[in-house]
Amino acid sequence: MSWLRIRELVRKEFIQLFRDKKNRPLLIIAPFVQLLVFGYVLSTDVRDVRVGVFDQARTRESRLLMDALNANRTFRITHYMNHPKELEELLLRRKVDLALKIGPDFSERIRKGDSAPVQILADGSMSNMASLRIAYTSLVLEGFNQSMIEERYKQRLDYGKIDARIRTWYNPNLDSRNFFVPGVVAVLIMILSLLLTSMAIIREKESGTIEQLIVTPLRPVELILGKTIPYIIITQTLMIIVITFAIVWFSLPMKGNFLLLIAAACLFLLSTLGVGLFISTISATQQQAMMTTFFFILPFFMFSGFVFPIASMPTAIQWLTYLNPLRYFLVIIRGVFLKGVGLEVLWPQFIAMMVLGLIVFVSAVKRFKKRLD
Amino acid sequence: MNPVTVKAIARKEFYHLVRDFRSMYLAFVIPLLLILMFGYALSLDVDSVRTVVVDHDKTEVSRDFVRRLDASSYFEIVHHLNDSSPAVSYLDQGLTTMAIVIPPGWTEDLKADRTASLQVLIDGSDPSFAGISRGYITAFVEAYNRDRLLSFLNRKGMEKIKAPVDGRIRVWFNEDLDSRNFIVPGIIAIIIMIVGAMLTSLVIAREYENGTMETIRSLPVGGGEFLLGKAIPYFLIALTDVLVAVFMGQVLFGVVMKSSFWLLVLASTIYISVALSLGFLISIATKSQLVANQMAILITFLPSLLLSNFIFPVGNMPKIFQILTYIIPATYFIDILNGIYLRGLGLAHLWTSYLILVGMLIVLSNIGFALLKKEGM
Repeated sequence: MSWLRIRELVRKEFIQLFRDKKNRPLLIIAPFVQLLVFGYVLSTDVRDVRVGVFDQARTRESRLLMDALNANRTFRITHYMNHPKELEELLLRRKVDLALKIGPDFSERIRKGDSAPVQILADGSMSNMASLRIAYTSLVLEGFNQSMIEERYKQRLDYGKIDARIRTWYNPNLDSRNFFVPGVVAVLIMILSLLLTSMAIIREKESGTIEQLIVTPLRPVELILGKTIPYIIITQTLMIIVITFAIVWFSLPMKGNFLLLIAAACLFLLSTLGVGLFISTISATQQQAMMTTFFFILPFFMFSGFVFPIASMPTAIQWLTYLNPLRYFLVIIRGVFLKGVGLEVLWPQFIAMMVLGLIVFVSAVKRFKKRLD
Repeated sequence: MNPVTVKAIARKEFYHLVRDFRSMYLAFVIPLLLILMFGYALSLDVDSVRTVVVDHDKTEVSRDFVRRLDASSYFEIVHHLNDSSPAVSYLDQGLTTMAIVIPPGWTEDLKADRTASLQVLIDGSDPSFAGISRGYITAFVEAYNRDRLLSFLNRKGMEKIKAPVDGRIRVWFNEDLDSRNFIVPGIIAIIIMIVGAMLTSLVIAREYENGTMETIRSLPVGGGEFLLGKAIPYFLIALTDVLVAVFMGQVLFGVVMKSSFWLLVLASTIYISVALSLGFLISIATKSQLVANQMAILITFLPSLLLSNFIFPVGNMPKIFQILTYIIPATYFIDILNGIYLRGLGLAHLWTSYLILVGMLIVLSNIGFALLKKEGM
């Protein structure tokens, strides 16, 4: 193996990549656009629940209930309706997320010490957010109940109650961004390294220059190294830039060790470059390679825990996710960013990624060599 | 416009597609994969919060509290521990989302009618999980407190009352709160963008790259005939994909439309045409397959996934992105899908979204024609 030959091939690859003006936006702009869009858009927080009310009682108690809702920053009463049909129409048109119907005997019942039913209609179409809205609603109702009971007895009721002291670790403000942005970095690295390696080789195939490379004294191993090293360099550089940008722009916390992240990225690249090589052996044209890459990226992306929690998947699928390198890389990148944990916690992920990476890379290289012979 | 010419172009494009077996195959397999993935495996719902409990108190009351916690469908107690420090490592390793610590002397406080504190630790790294966990545990504790208050009143021999307000929550549109019911229909929009826009973005760029565009230009084919002919095979593929997705959603996952099937077909027809126009526009403008593909991902696939109110609610986005969602066709199509599948709405409610999509189609296809005309077609 001659390092000189590898170096020259790497240099050729760089020149080729940056000479083509059309490649530049792909390399430089696309990752940033994606980071920004993902960073701003990915959020399933329940922040602003719009409530429509149909209040038949119009009494002090019913107003207190609405005040209790409005006082909670999550809720905002946007519509007061005079007819139940109008209220339902609001729900149908997605103008409100919750609809409250307060019966005419609301206050009478409360004053009698009876339960007054309040009908609450929740738009369940986005079920994950609806569950949270419902939990928050029952919270407000319970708080209202207690203040009503205490008011009724007009004295301090010192009963033994629980005071839940909730502390949220790692991401105390529950900022979606802190969760998603590190993940976006991982996904960007995956997409870039996969696409670029497969394309680099297919391009040579398509234009017939691969034959010329084969007749040079380059050995297959050197060819593979020369074709992958540039993309390792590019993705690592991009990762550093993108992470720095993310930390500055989104004021993301970086609690752990940056070097650990780079080491993890190297192990991760083993798998993605391996898959990229593999795709290049089974595709003939760029279009095919792109579609095949997409075919690989989709499951990697979906079954990684990036958006969809792994714990909510069926057990069989949960087992399958252990074969997904992105799953491990996400745990590492989030762990390093948010929890500040190091190898003492993350070693299983490192080992898993290494084993997976080596298997994929070595078998891809073998297949690639066979194709060259 | 001559129908014979259109037919000839369509036939040529169709041969291209059939000959490139892989692209054809992926045009059908990727949609199937998406539907299966989302239907079977991917869910946004948190069934129960995985919890580890440390009970330092070990009394009848604390055990009863833990039992009630476990019995509620919102929590799944994975482990009972005697010491707090391993509970921390459960959170560190991501084995549980929540740790509940009952301190010693807890029951004593409760019995003496003092406030007893309960320590709850939540892993906040996944904010939506953490938010739900926090909501569930607070609501649970509040309900527990209300029971204690009422029994306290009884004990003191005060007038017996019931909880003043009884919230009867009913869920509409997605009664079982299953994320599948909104994700499976939404996938139709994504599939159309992949097949309609991403595949077609390569079509004209390929003619430019291969130099065959010159040949076509020398033929007696007008721009309209050319685009229409090119579009027909992809239109048919996309429509088949939609029908397959609808069928699979219904048969395999029980995701059923609440309003008319034909409204869906009408909406899909319009939306597929919008996607095709977008794809062709990108193709003509970039003239390079690689760049066209990247552009297609950036301006068709990602926005229809992220900026369409599909999974990520528009209300949470910064203003600029909220405005952006208005120019994204998927927003209107997702709105229609949501109306047809979940709300059972008809044209009376949805006509604005239909009209806007038609408007987008007219604008996009005209820009496409104009660009082609400039190229000399």
